[in-house]
Formats: sequence, C-alpha cells, structure tokens
Amino acid sequence: MTETMEKDSAQIRAEVREHLRERADKTVRRRMATSTVMSGVCWAAIVVAAVPLVALLFELFHLGWSSISSWSFYSTYSQQPSGNNLSAGGAMGQIIGSVALVVYAVIISVPIGVTMGVFLAESQARAANWLRIVAQTMVSAPSVLMGLFIFKLILLQFGWQPSALAGSLALSILMLPVIAIATEIAVRSVNPSLREAGLALGARPSTTSLRIVLPAALSGIVTGSILAVSRAVGETAPILFVIGGISSGFGWKPFDQVNALPVLIYLNVKQGSYPSQISQAWGMALLLVIVVFVLSLFARIWANRNQKEQR
Amino acid sequence: MTESSPISLIQGVEDQQIEDPRNGPIAMSLSDVAVSFNGRTAVRDINFLVPKNKVTALIGPSGSGKTTLLRSLNRLHDLTKGAKVTGKILLGDTDVYNGGIPTTVLRSRIGMVFQRPNPFPTMSLYDNVVSGLRFNGVKKKSILDAACEESLKAAALWDEIKDRLKAHGSTLSGGQQQRLCIARALAVEPEVLLMDEPTSALDPISTHAIEELMGELKDRVTIVIVTHNMQQAARVSDLTAFLLMGEDRAGEQIEVAPTLKLFSEPDDQRTLDYIQGRFG
Ligand SMILES: Nc1ncnc2c1ncn2[C@@H]1O[C@H](COP(=O)(O)OP(=O)(O)OP(=O)(O)O)[C@@H](O)[C@H]1O
Ligand SMILES: [Mg+2]
Repeated sequence: MTETMEKDSAQIRAEVREHLRERADKTVRRRMATSTVMSGVCWAAIVVAAVPLVALLFELFHLGWSSISSWSFYSTYSQQPSGNNLSAGGAMGQIIGSVALVVYAVIISVPIGVTMGVFLAESQARAANWLRIVAQTMVSAPSVLMGLFIFKLILLQFGWQPSALAGSLALSILMLPVIAIATEIAVRSVNPSLREAGLALGARPSTTSLRIVLPAALSGIVTGSILAVSRAVGETAPILFVIGGISSGFGWKPFDQVNALPVLIYLNVKQGSYPSQISQAWGMALLLVIVVFVLSLFARIWANRNQKEQR
Repeated sequence: MTESSPISLIQGVEDQQIEDPRNGPIAMSLSDVAVSFNGRTAVRDINFLVPKNKVTALIGPSGSGKTTLLRSLNRLHDLTKGAKVTGKILLGDTDVYNGGIPTTVLRSRIGMVFQRPNPFPTMSLYDNVVSGLRFNGVKKKSILDAACEESLKAAALWDEIKDRLKAHGSTLSGGQQQRLCIARALAVEPEVLLMDEPTSALDPISTHAIEELMGELKDRVTIVIVTHNMQQAARVSDLTAFLLMGEDRAGEQIEVAPTLKLFSEPDDQRTLDYIQGRFG
C-alpha cells in the first residue's frame, strides 16, 4: 500500500519536475524575446529623444562658438551697431548683470526657502499643508507671472525704479518654492532617530533642527539651491520689465539698472537687424547653456559625494 | 527550550535570601502611568519603583508597550501629535510632567540610548561625545576635553579611538558606535540612563561588551533597559518588570520583582509561561 503510494508520489514529483522544467524553458525563451524587443524600443526612444537635442546643441555650438571663444565677448560692452561700426560688441555688462541678479536672488531666496522647507517638514500645523500646495503650484506657475507681479507691486504700487533688486525679487519668487521643496525632502529623509537623540540630550527642538537635522540635510539643500539657480539664470520673462537695462557700461549694485544675458538675447532676436547681433545672441545662449550644464553637473557630483560620505 | 530558559541561568537560588533592590534608595517612581496615542491606550496601570544605581529591565512580548513606557520617562512623546501620558512619574522629588521642570533640563538628567546606534553623521567622534554639553551651553574647551575623555573611558571606548577623535562616527563598527552613543549620553552626567534594546542590532561580542559595561556604569547612573532577550535581562538587571498585552490590547504590568525572584519563582502564572518561552 505505502509502496504503491510512494511510487505514485515519486512519479507525480517526476512529472511536476518535468513540467516545471518545460515551463521554465518557455519562460526563459519568452523573456529573452521580450527583452530583445524592449531594448529595441528603448534604443529607438533614446534616439528619438537625443536627435533633436544633439542637433540643437550642435547648432548652438556652431553658431555661438565664434562669439564666446573671443576674449572681447567678456571684456567689452554691447553696443548698437550702426552704419560705420557693424559690431554688436561683447556681453560684459550682461554677464555682470546676470551674476548680480543671481547673487542677490540667492541671498534672498535661500534663507527664506530653507526656513520654509524646514517648516514644511517639521510643522504639524495645518498651515504647512496649505503652504506646500502653494509651493507646488508656484513651481509650475509660468515664470512671466513673477515678473508681472513684481512690476505691478514694486514698480507701480511702491513706485520703485527698475533695478537689479526688483529683478532679483522676481527670480527669488521663482527659486523659493524649488528650494523649499528640495529642503523639505532633504529634511524628511534625515533619520528621525537623530532628532530624537538630540532631544534626548536636552537640546531644544530649534537647536536640534539647526545643529543636527540641517547639517545632515545639507547636501540635498545645496543640490536643490543649485538647481534653482540654474533655472533662474536663464529666465527672461520674470526680469524683462523690471531690471531696466542700460545701453552703455554696466550696473551691478542692488539699485542700479542692470542688463542680463537672456534679456539681450530676446531683444537682439526680436529687434536686431544686424547679423552681428544675431551671432551675439547665439553666443550668449551658448554661454547660458554651458553655465547651466556646469551647475547641474556640480549639483550631481555634490549629491553623490555626500551620499557616499553619509553612508 | 528549558535548556536555554533563563531559569537555568539562575538555578539554585531558590533557597537564597533574595534582596529587593527597592528597599534601598529610589531614583524614579511611576504611579498609574498610562500612555495613549490618539485616544488608543498603548500601555496602562504602570506602578513601580526604579531603584537607584541598579539596572531595571523591562521585558515582555512585542507590542506590550515597553518602548512606549520607556519614552514616557524622558518625555520623548511630547513631540508626537496625539500622544498623551497620564499618571505620575517622579525623578527623585521632581514631578516629571507637572513639576515645572523644563524638558531640556529633564532630558539632560535622563539620558537615552537607542535601539540602533545613531551617532550624528556630520560630527566628528569628539563632537559627538560633547554634543550634549554644547547643546546645553557649555563652551569651555578644557571642560569639553575632560568630559570627552572621561565619558569615553566610562564607555570603554577611549583606548580604541583616542587617536582619531577627529574621524567621523560612521568609521566605527556597530558595537563601537553604540558605545559612542553611550559615551555621548553619559557626558551630560545624567542620573538615569534609558536603553531601548541597545544590543539588538549588535553581534554577540559587542553585546557582551555592552552588558559588561552596564555593570560598571551602575556606580554612576541608574539604568532602565528594555530587552527582548530574557537571558540578557537575567544577566544584567537587578529588578525586572514584565509587561503583557491585556484583553484591550493595551500593555499592562503583570509582575515587577527582583530579577532573581522573577526568573526563579514568579508569582504570576503568565510570567512563568513567558520566561519559559510558552508564548510571546
Ligand atoms: N507613535 C505612535 N503612534 C501610535 N501608536 C503607537 C506609537 N508608538 C507606539 N504605538 C503603539 O503602542 C503599542 C506598544 O508599542 P511599543 O513600541 O511600545 O511596544 P514594544 O513593547 O516596545 O514592542 P517591541 O518589543 O516590538 O519593541 C503598539 O500597539 C504600537 O502600535
Ligand atoms: Mg520596542
């Protein structure tokens, strides 16, 4: 009785094994086929995505390189070409203006954005949820809105003159939600047991945030801020109506009128009738792309380095 | 099971006179302590005395509220929304919850060591050890230096790391990190040290080192330790409190007794079942 049972059971198991092996073979074959098809699809997608991008970069280098490879691009001011002088000059004033705009915007938006992010991460108040929704909406709001807002409020309402500071305020509004959200994510990802360890040592909650949580979240905050800068530096719309712009020389102080790279690109392409202006615009565009690329690279390297360090 | 049961560790003590550590000085006292989260009671009806300069162990199955109870002692639930602690907890003569003592002061008198070693990742070993002093406003370098060396020695870590105090905490082994956390807690000179399963993330050798350390630390600090490991409770503690989840799914105190007694002749059948591994 048991013997036949055992025999049966052995037979059954052999059959099951046989069947399993067949299925496994089939599965492997099917997976390999799927995998071949899928990687084909992936490559096609990469090519479709990369072709326009590469073409764009190629065109940009092709048209812009002659401008930015010449030292005079950085050392002379832009000028309006005229009958006997066809040159559009360099972009020194625009470079200085853009740097000033971004520096002031960083000074304004980083402290506020980081504070806001910490609040979003740590507060259990209902206000935090509303603030988060506002921030998330602002991240994707059209950037021309910031310019209009500053124009309406600061220039028309308060009667300021156009200035670097007005432009920086517009850029700050653009950067603020990016920094706040990056900070919130970075702070939330800090091991909660570190905060508890701080509190358990008798530290006040604010001390704990400042001396334990923020340092541990620093890499994420820096990465977010760099990305915010790289978004702001190329923006035209928010600053177009509020920084004034001067025809000769350069401004950089907060209440100076300033020039900016993206604004001159816009003006040259819109109004410029001389080839030198168009080529100057390509040069400035290339410079902006390079700056943004370097900033993103820097953000990535920074994030990776700190990730390794904290492990 | 009986082979490894803690009872076997303490055999032959039945006839001995077991001394109750609660007859000596008392560090903390708990009366009618209960903790609830959002109205749901997690642990209730806790009444016992924590003897001074002794080790008190909290044992019990998962979910019986050991961690919850431990964290109520240094008011770590204060920042948890919906958490509520009732009853009376005394630290010496000071009412922990209603005595008007600032939580920062309270927490520097009651230190804590966590289940997973958690050195501050952005700080050097030195900065980690003196962080509590700095948070509490101590700036003088001579005091910080002295406290660092003293508490690292007390945590039996000084010889291993004295040459690299500038290194980061993550360069230490898990066991060393936990001893660093003990040194960090000791540096602020607490009267009581709370430890929540401090060895559960460690290997047997590191565990042994920390258990030995607890014996040495008794002279300077009162220890309350949560542990899942009954052998550990039997080895290191003088008094043991056994918690169990009641019918309402809230943890309650079943028996509190000198460790030798609780593990050899407990009064409650449920304690006996638990220490013999029959449930939990
Ligand atoms: N922050 C919290 N919010 C809500 N409920 C909680 C919270 N912390 C603990 N609890 C509940 O309290 C009860 C007791 O949990 P606790 O962590 O104290 O158990 P424990 O005895 O430490 O268990 P373990 O041995 O697994 O660590 C559980 O039912 C748990 O769900
Ligand atoms: Mg626990």
